[in-house]
Amino acid sequence: MEKDNILTIQHLKKSFGQHEVLKDIDLQVQRGEVMTIIGSSGSGKSTLLRCLNLLDDATAGEILYNGQNILDPNFNRIQYRAKVGMVFQQFNLFNNLNALENCVVAQTTVLKKNPAEAEKNALAQLEKVGMGPYVKAKPAQLSGGQKQRVAIARTLAMSPDMILFDEPTSALDPEMVDGILDIMKDLAHTGLTMILVTHEMGFARDISDHVVFMDQGVIAEQGSAEQIFSSPKNPRTQEFLQRYLKRL
Amino acid sequence: MYLKQKRSWLSIIGLLFAVFVIAAGTFHSSQAQAAKKSKKVFLVGMEANYPPFNWTQQDASNGAVPIQGSNLYANGYDVQVSKRIAKRLGRPVEVAKTEWDGLLPALTSGKIDAIIAGMTPTPEREKTIDFTRAYYNSKQIIVVNKNSKYAKAKTLKDFKGAKLTGQLSTVQYDLIKQIKGAIREPAMRDFSSMRVALQSNTIDGYVAELPEGYSMAVADPNATYINLSGKGGFVLDKTESQEAIGLRKNDPNKATINSVLSKLPNSEQSRLMQQAVKEQPQTSSQGNWFIDIWQQYGGMLLRGIGMTLLLAIVGTAVGFIIGLLIGIVRTIPAPKKRLQRYLINFVNWLLSVYIEVFRGTPMIVQAAVFYYGAAQAFGINLDRTTSALIIVSINTGAYLAEIIRGGIISIDQGQFEAATALGMTHFQQMNKIVLPQAVRNSIPAVTNEFIVNIKDTSVLSIISVSELFFTGSTIAGQNFQFFHTYLTISLIYLIMTFTITRIFRLIEKKLNGPKNYDLMTNDFQIATPKIAGK
Ligand SMILES: Nc1ncnc2c1ncn2[C@@H]1O[C@H](COP(=O)(O)OP(=O)(O)OP(=O)(O)O)[C@@H](O)[C@H]1O
Ligand SMILES: [Mg+2]
Repeated sequence: MEKDNILTIQHLKKSFGQHEVLKDIDLQVQRGEVMTIIGSSGSGKSTLLRCLNLLDDATAGEILYNGQNILDPNFNRIQYRAKVGMVFQQFNLFNNLNALENCVVAQTTVLKKNPAEAEKNALAQLEKVGMGPYVKAKPAQLSGGQKQRVAIARTLAMSPDMILFDEPTSALDPEMVDGILDIMKDLAHTGLTMILVTHEMGFARDISDHVVFMDQGVIAEQGSAEQIFSSPKNPRTQEFLQRYLKRL
Repeated sequence: MYLKQKRSWLSIIGLLFAVFVIAAGTFHSSQAQAAKKSKKVFLVGMEANYPPFNWTQQDASNGAVPIQGSNLYANGYDVQVSKRIAKRLGRPVEVAKTEWDGLLPALTSGKIDAIIAGMTPTPEREKTIDFTRAYYNSKQIIVVNKNSKYAKAKTLKDFKGAKLTGQLSTVQYDLIKQIKGAIREPAMRDFSSMRVALQSNTIDGYVAELPEGYSMAVADPNATYINLSGKGGFVLDKTESQEAIGLRKNDPNKATINSVLSKLPNSEQSRLMQQAVKEQPQTSSQGNWFIDIWQQYGGMLLRGIGMTLLLAIVGTAVGFIIGLLIGIVRTIPAPKKRLQRYLINFVNWLLSVYIEVFRGTPMIVQAAVFYYGAAQAFGINLDRTTSALIIVSINTGAYLAEIIRGGIISIDQGQFEAATALGMTHFQQMNKIVLPQAVRNSIPAVTNEFIVNIKDTSVLSIISVSELFFTGSTIAGQNFQFFHTYLTISLIYLIMTFTITRIFRLIEKKLNGPKNYDLMTNDFQIATPKIAGK
């Protein structure tokens, strides 16, 4: 069976000075799948995501997006970034703009949509994440959970092919986490490609098609959610999951 | 619907910039036109603030001569002599009102044609300019208060222990050294300052020439003067108590001018001087001094205010634009390509040199170097106002560049990353996200700069820009009411700075947007959200 890969990562390496954070990563992401990356702190999960949307430049290797190497100097990064969304742990909303404007600004500048159309789309996305009533609020006037919803709407407004989530609920109070997870679950059902770094193991187990366990800069184990969570083979995966189970 | 009201920041800035360029352009062309029309004018430099030699008045009475670039007039002994010379040269005469210290550079840089300002031909000065024969033979005096113990002095010896001063870079100031035991106070910039100092008893007297004594005795009933030209008085060369006309070296008109002056015998000089003393501005204070000042000099004050505001507004606005542009350039992330990187580094280096130089030197020096130096070294002849506007702008730009750069780098990295991740370019990020925040954060500093500009443009009097302070000293030189005049001036400064602080507070509030937001219930809200927002 021919696989439809949206991303193919080959021999990816990333060093900060002498410190090699990603060591020879090989990974394939299928179109429409929900992939979760788990692993202990410092194992390189965020760095991998940042390399995937070119916030950090990989030191070596290839990242093929629909067959094109995104690390090629002639590759159109702007277009690629517009198609690949990113949701951050710290929300990173634009503080000078209200919720609506946050969702409009990249549509008009990057996608060159006309303002009326962009605004209509932005409103629709804000509705979708339950932020319809707050379109006029500035980030400083919103709670953490509300900010993250706006940030998700901002990404969705670009009609992305794929969204990268880097611990989207880690900075939230526990009672707000579920709301965000519900939104992501809904998104997963729409067939969007999602790569998610999270410490919410239960949630990862529920929604993931594909789970990757990272350890010290390498992919120690990967497989279906069922396989990784129920019968992990690698002792380090077992150890890692044990720690989480104990905590629960 | 919310967006339509919001214009792009860059387009607003661009618009502002265009307005200033056009304004400066029209301003400049009108100046250029004026310059062309008056090409043959015999332009004489003087302080127009040293009666009875020269003073400023508001009308053309008693044969006064227009002051270039204003609707004021100059008159006095020097002006009457200037008219005789101009007549002989067959040219119309105008006065360039110039500070004493600015006279020599103005002449050598070609801004004026002659100095007729009660200047003594010293060997020092003769190194840089030529002098004609004398047009006035003077006597050295010391002006003192009538009720002081020096009022009865006869010889230099009697001034033992007296605190004396004189005008900066004059023969008279040097003469104090001849008085044993006198305290030589720092020199002062102009006669107005010395008169104030005398009235307030911070000095016991100042060395001057006889005509100043006449004037002061007329203007201030409490003042008198001691003639020290005779025995027991100052010892000096004959030429040192003469006034002559300063010309550029090898001026072809020198012979003609000398021949005019040769027809000015001592008796005629004395007659002209007496007349000047009679005609010089008199204090006319009846009733309320504040109302008097406004009635008499209201127009001048308003023009002074206008000039100060023009300098401060244009200087701050253009400086702000310069600061913004530099702020943007200095925060461009290092490019990957080597050549581009070198180029950026070089530009950054140039910009930091600019900032260091303009922050590291006083504006008064920059103004003098720019206005006189540019003319002297490169023959670039800008008019005063344009020079002043340029100096204030680039000076302010140097300060604001760093403030705005600070504002940009203080914005958290996350917002840059989010914008980059959305595909926005550096300039789109700057325009839509970073600069609006940096600008908002820099408003208190810009307010500060604005206020500093209102006050500090007073140093531009060095290039004779008639802003408020220069106007104030002109008025004080005419009405001899130093305290009241400067009190009025300070009041005006205070009102201006206070108003501007308030205006900027309002702008700040406006930019912050409303404190509360309305919850929206609009057409798009099809269903109640699944997860209620907190
Ligand atoms: N800009 C950087 N410069 C130098 N070292 C870095 C930089 N960013 C990350 N690192 C290092 O790379 C390693 C991996 O960091 P990364 O943020 O990818 O970990 P992570 O798996 O996301 O951890 P966490 O679960 O705590 O978020 C860490 O040791 C970190 O110190
Ligand atoms: Mg991380």
